Amino acid sequence: MLSVPKRLEPGGVFDEFFLDAETPRPVYERLAETLRSLQPGELAGGVRAINAALLRRGVTFTVYAEDAGTERIFPFDPIPRIFAAEEWDQIAAGVAQRVRALNAFLRDVYHEARILRENTALRDAVFSSNLYVREMIGVRVPHDVYIHVSGIDLIRDETGTMLVLEDNVRTPSGISYVLENRDVLKRTFPKLFEGYPLRPVDDYPRRLLRTLRDAAPPRSGEPNIIVLTPGVYNSAYYEHAMLARQMGVPLVEGRDLIVVDNTVFLKTTRGLERVDVIYRRIDDDFLDPLYFRHDSVLGAVGLMNAYRSGNVTLANAIGTGVADDKALYRFVPEMIRFYLHEDSLLPNVETFDCTDERSRRHVLGNLENMVVKRTDGSGGYGMLIGPASTAAEREEFARAIEAEPRSYIAQPTIQLSSHPTLAGQDLVARRIDLRPFVLYGKRVDVPPAALTRVALREGSLVVNSSQGGGSKDTWVLGASGA
Amino acid sequence: MLSRHAESFFWLARNVERAETVARVLDVTYTRSMDRFQHDVWANRAWRTALAIGTLAEPANVDTCDAESAFDRCIFDATNLSSIASTVSIARTNAINVRSELSTETWENINELYLDVRAQTIEAVTREGPARFLRRVRDRCQAIEGVTDATLLHVDGWNFLQLGRFAERGYLALRMLATIESLDDPWPEWQALLEMASASMPFARASSHLPASREVVDFVLFDPTFPRSVGFCANEVDAALHRISETPQGRGYTNQAEKLAGRLCAEFNFADVADVLHEGLHPFVRRIRHEIEDVMGAIQGVYFPRIPVPNAPLLPVEVVSA
Repeated sequence: MLSVPKRLEPGGVFDEFFLDAETPRPVYERLAETLRSLQPGELAGGVRAINAALLRRGVTFTVYAEDAGTERIFPFDPIPRIFAAEEWDQIAAGVAQRVRALNAFLRDVYHEARILRENTALRDAVFSSNLYVREMIGVRVPHDVYIHVSGIDLIRDETGTMLVLEDNVRTPSGISYVLENRDVLKRTFPKLFEGYPLRPVDDYPRRLLRTLRDAAPPRSGEPNIIVLTPGVYNSAYYEHAMLARQMGVPLVEGRDLIVVDNTVFLKTTRGLERVDVIYRRIDDDFLDPLYFRHDSVLGAVGLMNAYRSGNVTLANAIGTGVADDKALYRFVPEMIRFYLHEDSLLPNVETFDCTDERSRRHVLGNLENMVVKRTDGSGGYGMLIGPASTAAEREEFARAIEAEPRSYIAQPTIQLSSHPTLAGQDLVARRIDLRPFVLYGKRVDVPPAALTRVALREGSLVVNSSQGGGSKDTWVLGASGA
Repeated sequence: MLSRHAESFFWLARNVERAETVARVLDVTYTRSMDRFQHDVWANRAWRTALAIGTLAEPANVDTCDAESAFDRCIFDATNLSSIASTVSIARTNAINVRSELSTETWENINELYLDVRAQTIEAVTREGPARFLRRVRDRCQAIEGVTDATLLHVDGWNFLQLGRFAERGYLALRMLATIESLDDPWPEWQALLEMASASMPFARASSHLPASREVVDFVLFDPTFPRSVGFCANEVDAALHRISETPQGRGYTNQAEKLAGRLCAEFNFADVADVLHEGLHPFVRRIRHEIEDVMGAIQGVYFPRIPVPNAPLLPVEVVSA
């Protein structure tokens, strides 16, 4: 019999599983019972089988900086994370609100810039952002949708409140793990599912396809949709291939494209074929060597002109990065008020702007309690976690902040909530976050398919796959309220 | 379909076919050596034959070798593009390229073959017994062939697989025939040839009496019902080309690849073993080999982009446990 520890971690951290020392939270009661009924070693044995299956299926990502592209599986934890219907529906409403506001903001900053006239601090942040793409000023994008696909990272603080940690509105990845995790857990531990009415995740590719069809430029006939990948060496190539395969659309590299008369074509065995919608998983910088990085071979020459002519839709639009520049994050509640006339459903984490002298002094004086992030960074690279840092690291960040205050923000270290996680044969408490994915076609759609990442190292607060994180299947219960 | 995907399908099939053939040639040579090679002369010749096929070398240019060095060159040597390690790795790289077009079963079979081969060393293969490992490679290659037939739409991607598979198969059969010294070679040589070409049983069924070498040549080159004869392969290549261009086979051509493949078919439809022997076995084999090479070159020119498909080295794979 596997014992579920009574209390996985002492105070100061919100426990997702347990209400108090004795009792699991209501949604976890059934799962706790099932876990207690398992034979010792059953979970560990299953996980070994799952890891072997993931390797066989090639569900791998590439770790940069290690020896030229090491393929790794993203470790899978078999203890699912569960949301009751009402809680999930609140989260979904919260992230949908955020994406609507961020989209309205992008429409605004690339056209009238109304909000920038009212808020000079925001104006300075936008115009100093290296993610603000001047080539997009005045460009109308189909249906005014910029953020077709996004992933909003949420964490739960010590009090149990869900906070938005960051918005990812460029090319967020991770959905393939959501789909794979559900599939392998079903096959390996069917017992865990007993008594839980789950919302399915496997219709995500269909919902994505609908979103992309909605995004097509107005033109008669069925739109020709493609997925554009940087290629087989990209860390998320598996995901690109999986989505293309499940949507039944071609997986294309830049060298398969040619732009003629501001129209994008595919090079096929039957000649050129017109393209209408590109779900691109390539950063702005690499899309078109004529406009952006001249040394890029990943995009297509002339793509930007075709885009500006309205002949092809890019999902996401070019220039969305300014909306997830970390220096703009603290303004999002204001954007929600300004564009939607609503209060934020999901609060932000308190954030210090290093360009403001008083805030900067506060940050530099309290580095050991702060998390410092580069404003244009992502993927957990270039971060300082104050409580886990050495004096030398803090010194280095302090110098960097002084030198380029615009490039850094700081936040108090939030103790992420913990969740039982398998380590060897035992269940231990590990910190988790949540990334729901938001689709925006004719309307905003939040599929019940979120990624829960878990920091596998004890006490670690970093959940990124590139930094020793793993993932869990995430269950949303009950009939869909959306 | 994307030209780049078409090219990857073609190379995927060629490399799987070659891995299967090299595994079979090594297996046949190895198992025959266990009770038949009391004489060093025979053993030497047999391993040289295996090495010639497994490195795509002219038989005359292959040095004497033993089992271990033949295994090393034909299974593990990454500089030999026909070794099992190389072909399986190139096949997988191409499979990754067309991952979005493959069925799950196809991809998993290729990936599992790769993971198996990658984990091997000459010591491990020897310990396990070479025949077991080689058999596994063959089984997996045949599973890939079967599962592609059973799970892919029989449209462009599958047609390019057929092209690669049959072009390579015919080509390798000619490589095997080239290792025969003359029609007067003793029967065991012919029997080895039949086994390497996977023709032993089919030939036994098709020939009713004690066969002669001439009949083996006839069978391996011309038999229209044997799915590994060169003529059968030429016909499948021609048929796949016409399916791709959606034109009827046997009534002219619409591009250079069809023109050359059609001629090659005619050669097999309107010649027999007497013509071959009249021309001379080796000159005939050499000429047809060049013609198949020309067909493959023409396919490249007609359908594939002028950008090469990456033939990557083996990527290290490790399991990171939680």
